[in-house]
Amino acid sequence: MATTDSVFESSSPSVRPGTELLVLLAAMTPEQREQILANLATSFPADGLVIASPDELPTDSEAPFRMIAAPASETSWTLTAADFINAYQLAEKNEARAILMLSRESGSLGPSALRDLANAVLAGSTDLAVPCYDLPPRTGLVNSAIFYPLGRALFASPVRFPLAVDLGLSLRMAERLATAAHRLTALNQAETPLWPVNEATVAGFAIGQFDVGLRTLPQPGGPDLNTILPLLTGSLFSDIEAKAAFWQRSRQLPPAEKNRPMSPASPPEAATDIAPMLQAFRLAYTNLNEIWSLVLPPNSLVGLKRLSTSDAAAFHMPEGLWARIVFDFVLAYRLRTINRGHLLGSLIPLYLAWVASHVNVTASGVDPASHIETVAAAFEADKTYLVSRWRWPDRFNP
Amino acid sequence: MKKLGSATDPLWYKDAIIYELHVRAFADSNGDGIGDFPGLLTRLDYLQDLGVTCIWLLPFYPSPLRDDGYDIANYVDVNPSYGTLNDFKAFLDAAHQRNMQVLIELVINHTSDEHPWFKAARIAPPGSPAREMYVWSQTKLLYKDAGIIFTDTETSNWTWDETAKAYYWHRFFSHQPDLNFDSPEVMEEVLKAMRFWLDMGVDALRMDAIPYLVERDGTSCENLPETHLVVKKIRAAIDAEYGNRFILAEANETPADVRPYFGDGDECHMAFHFPLMPRIYMALRQEDRRPIIDIMAETPAIPDNCQWGLFLRNHDELTLALVSEDERDYMHIAYSNDPRMRVNGGIRRRLAPLVDNNRRRIELLNSLLLSFPGTPILYYGDEVGMGDNIYLGDRNSVRTPMQWNSDRNAGFSKCDPARLYLPIIMDPIYGYQTINVEAQQSDQSSLLHWTRNMIALRKLFQVFGRGTLHFLNPANRKILAYLRDLDHGDGSHETVLCVANLSRFAQPVSLDLADHNGAEPVEMVGYVPFPIITDAPYVLTLAPYSFLWLELQPSHENPAS
Repeated sequence: MATTDSVFESSSPSVRPGTELLVLLAAMTPEQREQILANLATSFPADGLVIASPDELPTDSEAPFRMIAAPASETSWTLTAADFINAYQLAEKNEARAILMLSRESGSLGPSALRDLANAVLAGSTDLAVPCYDLPPRTGLVNSAIFYPLGRALFASPVRFPLAVDLGLSLRMAERLATAAHRLTALNQAETPLWPVNEATVAGFAIGQFDVGLRTLPQPGGPDLNTILPLLTGSLFSDIEAKAAFWQRSRQLPPAEKNRPMSPASPPEAATDIAPMLQAFRLAYTNLNEIWSLVLPPNSLVGLKRLSTSDAAAFHMPEGLWARIVFDFVLAYRLRTINRGHLLGSLIPLYLAWVASHVNVTASGVDPASHIETVAAAFEADKTYLVSRWRWPDRFNP
Repeated sequence: MKKLGSATDPLWYKDAIIYELHVRAFADSNGDGIGDFPGLLTRLDYLQDLGVTCIWLLPFYPSPLRDDGYDIANYVDVNPSYGTLNDFKAFLDAAHQRNMQVLIELVINHTSDEHPWFKAARIAPPGSPAREMYVWSQTKLLYKDAGIIFTDTETSNWTWDETAKAYYWHRFFSHQPDLNFDSPEVMEEVLKAMRFWLDMGVDALRMDAIPYLVERDGTSCENLPETHLVVKKIRAAIDAEYGNRFILAEANETPADVRPYFGDGDECHMAFHFPLMPRIYMALRQEDRRPIIDIMAETPAIPDNCQWGLFLRNHDELTLALVSEDERDYMHIAYSNDPRMRVNGGIRRRLAPLVDNNRRRIELLNSLLLSFPGTPILYYGDEVGMGDNIYLGDRNSVRTPMQWNSDRNAGFSKCDPARLYLPIIMDPIYGYQTINVEAQQSDQSSLLHWTRNMIALRKLFQVFGRGTLHFLNPANRKILAYLRDLDHGDGSHETVLCVANLSRFAQPVSLDLADHNGAEPVEMVGYVPFPIITDAPYVLTLAPYSFLWLELQPSHENPAS
């Protein structure tokens, strides 16, 4: 079921029989794949489907679908430039009209979720079908703290998970993403994530967001937050820089979405100990202040100073302060104020401070989704700050 | 299959920021006192950071350098002083990697008298193909109606050649014999040279001295129909074999005479707007918008795929060939009261000295350059306010080495200062210890930062490169106000109101913006909303030499607007 405003798709159109959908699966265990195939079998007529998988194909001639080989992706926890190139090439080769990209652990997506995502793009009214996952309250917080608020503020996009790992794509959307991906592969950045929602927004393509319920997100195997956060924020900030001429124009923000309650099926989470996060933040306040002072204006630095002496129980990062911090990091990334790796690394303790603050806020009884909406609203309200700083990046500012 | 250039949009030149430089003057990598391609390559990051999207290289071919390289002795090689062909290729690739395109010179009106073609022509029998590559005569009376361009050095367009026993035609210096475009061999060789560079990946060609390609007796030998046929042939060859490239016409003519060089979109993609430049300076000094309005009123519409090239200064003198005698007198008195500041009737000074090094005047002129309809072309060094040296001969006053820092030779070269191709500017106001890139990079309030920010701002708005122009007519003539508008074709418009105060004092202005009733002007630099436009006159006050760029946005308070 779609949950978006009138610009977004609000229903799942029926699919013409015989339509050709390419389902591109990520590498996964046989059990996971079996589950997905079973769900697909429930959702779609077999003759309209081609499944592409990098795993060994079943030798069983009774496989319900036509199966083809797909190149394996080196990155398993998010969709990368290489994945989008593969998707478009396979779709073209197999004359598919639309594509459904499913990542690891997508067995947790039920048949109706698969139908929603695929049917929207097969019907032709939507170019990009994006899932809205029900996640436990303290999962996907990088998305909640940075990606979603930036997407809303800059691209007027209500998509809750801009970096969703499952997507429905029309052929023209896939082509556009493949073109964008080629630019990255030309720079030897095939494993860099793409930002399909931003791409679709700039192209003026129709985007649909669909509630898909619970989903277990694939987790990065090796890399930790120190690697993942710079990788993802660097990729997003680059995309923002490339699309500056678009997002700086005045656009109508969509009406605020209703708060999404967290899944009732999610078990209550144990209390999170914020002490290590605060310790990291305080240590960084001592060690990284010199770097932050190159990036952040005096008001933000004063705000951080106050936070650094705040008790754990009372620790709260004002939403406006967080928005300005992220905006100033976006700007410093564009201006190459300091080495980009160092810059993004120095964002990590600030992010941990936001997480600690979020934990405190939600522990006080505020609905996590509501708090995330408040954060996003702060980003929206202060977009003019980023635009003015972007256009005139003078260090002499408040 | 067409060979595509490095840009993806066929109309990329409309949005470009062009930066004109001489390889010789930019950066010397080997300490011989002469700039070179390896040196230029090391400075590409600087240009990218500045926001440049297209680098225009002055001639870098083998040449005796008697006209700063416009006297070419070999069209398909690099002058050894600047490096090798491989060095050029490395530079070209590096520029493309930084999303910058490269514009080079196609100087086809004439060659050097040391070009092998001319050497062969002198000894070839009259009427032979080798001889006919140039224009010969037994009399100086032929083409007598053609004017002399370099009046300071030349007394005739004909020079006697003792070996050939004939006069040869040269519209410029006597060591630059004109090629004969009535000879099929010439066109063949020109196309061969052009393909050589385009095949390598060069993105654009500047056609030097384009009005003078063909001569006919009884005419001024300028802008002849036969010349347009030559241009059309060159353009047709480009269109047939290449994509996403452009040709820039150098035609120092009135707008009406330049217009034919666009053809029906089948000649040059871009042409310099020469007469606008002196009139901008005149308007500034007279504190009156009239000279600008008048010349723009004389500027005809051009085909959709064409563009004007705009500049404040370049490697030549500030030409006054296209102004009246009174205007020329005024410009000489106003901007070059020392005769050493003049050459060929024009003014051989850089931007900053022309406006007495007044930062607000420099900014105002740049704001016009960046917001007028056309592609802006910056001259190297003007982004930091470099000065000139009027004690150097010819136009070398504005061709001195780039000032990178306050080290020896301004960081341009590590050579003995005596070896420099031209001395560095060393006076107390514009000297390299004061005016240099490194200092301005560290100074957030410098002209360099200002220029970089303004370029970045312009690049956010396609309307500046592609939109229409409409002048407003406020009573206060010290104010220049105009609307730029781009129809996106989907019902949406990008509209910008530009207001400039040409006066040294604060000025009020009342603008009739009734056609935009309900719109909200948003000041573009700071993203500051201004009062919503109504039917009433829109009143603004501008500080001395200040300007405003206001994007007219639909008002949030009045969605119907």
